[in-house]
Amino acid sequence: MSSEPLLRVENLKTQFFTDAGTVRAVDGISFEVHEGEIVGLVGESGAGKSVASMSLLRLVESPGEIVGGEITYRGETLFGLEEGPDGELRERDDMLSNEEMRTRIRGNEIAVIFQDPMETLNPVFTVGGQLREFIELNRDLSGKEARKEAIEMLREVGIPDPEERYEEYPHQFSGGMRQRVLIAMALACEPNLIIADEPTTALDVTVEGQIIDLVDELQEKYDTSFVWVTHDMGVVAEICDRVNVMYLGEIIEQAPVDELFHDTKHPYTEALLNSMPRPDRTVGELEPIEGVMPEAISPPSGCRFHPRCPDAREVCQRVHPENKEVARADGYPHNAACVKHDVFDVGYDESVPLDKEPQMTASTPSAGDDGE
Amino acid sequence: MGLLRYTTYRFIQAIPVLIGISILTFILANLTPGDPVRLMTQGQEVTPEQIERIEAQYGLDRPLHERYLDYMAGLVQGDMGHSFHRNRPVTDLIASRIGPTLLLVLSAYAFALVTSIPLGIIAAKRRNDPFDHVSRIVALFGVSTPSFWIGIMLILIFAVQLGWLPSAGLVYPWWSPETYGHSGYFEHLIETMRYLLLPMIALGTLQMATLMRVERTQMIESLQGEYVKLARAYGVPERTILRKHAFQVAQLPIITIVGLNLSTALGGAVLIEFVFNINGLGRLFYEAIIQLDYQLIMGITMIIATMFVIGVIITDIAYAYIDPRVTYGESE
Repeated sequence: MSSEPLLRVENLKTQFFTDAGTVRAVDGISFEVHEGEIVGLVGESGAGKSVASMSLLRLVESPGEIVGGEITYRGETLFGLEEGPDGELRERDDMLSNEEMRTRIRGNEIAVIFQDPMETLNPVFTVGGQLREFIELNRDLSGKEARKEAIEMLREVGIPDPEERYEEYPHQFSGGMRQRVLIAMALACEPNLIIADEPTTALDVTVEGQIIDLVDELQEKYDTSFVWVTHDMGVVAEICDRVNVMYLGEIIEQAPVDELFHDTKHPYTEALLNSMPRPDRTVGELEPIEGVMPEAISPPSGCRFHPRCPDAREVCQRVHPENKEVARADGYPHNAACVKHDVFDVGYDESVPLDKEPQMTASTPSAGDDGE
Repeated sequence: MGLLRYTTYRFIQAIPVLIGISILTFILANLTPGDPVRLMTQGQEVTPEQIERIEAQYGLDRPLHERYLDYMAGLVQGDMGHSFHRNRPVTDLIASRIGPTLLLVLSAYAFALVTSIPLGIIAAKRRNDPFDHVSRIVALFGVSTPSFWIGIMLILIFAVQLGWLPSAGLVYPWWSPETYGHSGYFEHLIETMRYLLLPMIALGTLQMATLMRVERTQMIESLQGEYVKLARAYGVPERTILRKHAFQVAQLPIITIVGLNLSTALGGAVLIEFVFNINGLGRLFYEAIIQLDYQLIMGITMIIATMFVIGVIITDIAYAYIDPRVTYGESE
């Protein structure tokens, strides 16, 4: 573990300015990724995971905008604001320009593996051509060398007959094979950090297993760091070194993976774990989390999880808990944002438990699940 | 299946379509109220015997199905019959008139494509900018205004008021420059363009507006595609994304519309030929209908139908060429 992390995200805020109001999709998250680490970003749909990961590359699409915080990658400022002489916030001078982001960071330093292999590849170009284009752009190779490299990469990710498949179009590939192509794209650019945005969500379980094994293997070989975005605690357990749990735009718990699973500090994380099928429990013992996540446009007061939290007390409606260190494990802090761990300051113990209000349920149509 | 086999296959498929069109046209033309012989002999003193003789001469006294089979027998040998009004073979008449119409329709399409695609792309890129709003109003105007009215307005402004361009007729580039007294091919070409410009714009505006609207919508959709996100995430320059990644996917519906709108364009050409006094197929068609010149009506309908079918086949081939998911009919 080196002292300076590869990527540091400090109080990142990304908002969407819609007609209905401002959606605080990412609301002040901080995390670090060290060399060679796989860091999980976990949460339900709409928690802001994808927006957070796209913010790292400054690729949030309008009407979304990064409005605050700082992103540092290997000492370079990917995003940073400062107060100008007129008191307005402005971009810092050392922040990389859009052109620098495009030529120096995207692809060759930080690459992305997208969620949907069926839609992500361009249908009218050959798989090999697309792969070669990205290699040429990010690695200063000539067309011929890039082609060779592309075929090599296709072989590396386990695509049989890569020479022939190079000339084929995406529709001639299965979902799992397309996901392998997307992984090949990310690795072929030789980045130091790969953002994997739910790369296995669209795949069936057996293919998911293969892809995860493949990534594990390649990660060891190339020593690439990963930010692994997922909603699946099973995948987290299998692959991640450290985990950040997101809820409604905030990180509510962060810890090394074993610590998170064995000494869970936040009720939401616990609820997530309890809702996950495990070999030691029958289906009847699964406990789904009550209700659905509220929309980020009008988050609940106090702790954002309190309307669904089994441990919620009156104080949770008023006090917004800070994400702070509650334990240490393996030299890393174990942070949680819950007033349970703040007993002296806010008086959680004296506070009365909340009556369960009428809840939104999963069938409530108004609560969209597309807020991500 | 290869391109050649596919094309052959599509042409063979087109034969029943054309036969169907021929039957329908034949019946409809002959059902039209009025009597061609009476129209021919209008104002002249004719005896019933004379009328019978004329009818027998042109075979009009025989039953419809016999006449149809006769006609088709001639057609497959390249004989489209005889215009009894003009007393000339239908093939000659069509051959002398098809040039201006093709020139008009093709140039209108060229004008529409050359203008609509860049404008549509810019409008998509600058969505909701003033440029986008203006181009949408122009497009709305274009699709909702009849081409003949645009033609008349163009004549009023550019020919009558400003006197910049001629208002009628065409210079045929395939005739020698001397025919028009032009001093050389350069002047010949310039004159061709001068005469062609107004009718081309009048006929092409509808196509341009339609294509521009589709191009804009398609590009907006394509620019939101996941593959565009992917290209951005790998540092592809915006211009390349616009020109390559988003563009090629967006062109698929354009091709379809170009092919299908061929019928609108050929129909529009009839009116434009009238407005600009162009001796094309459209005017010949109109006169044939007025005079109930059965053979000529049949001949021109068959030619237009064939052109349309060829247009659609070219569209399909182009579609399969651009979109790898569409194959030339082979099963995977």
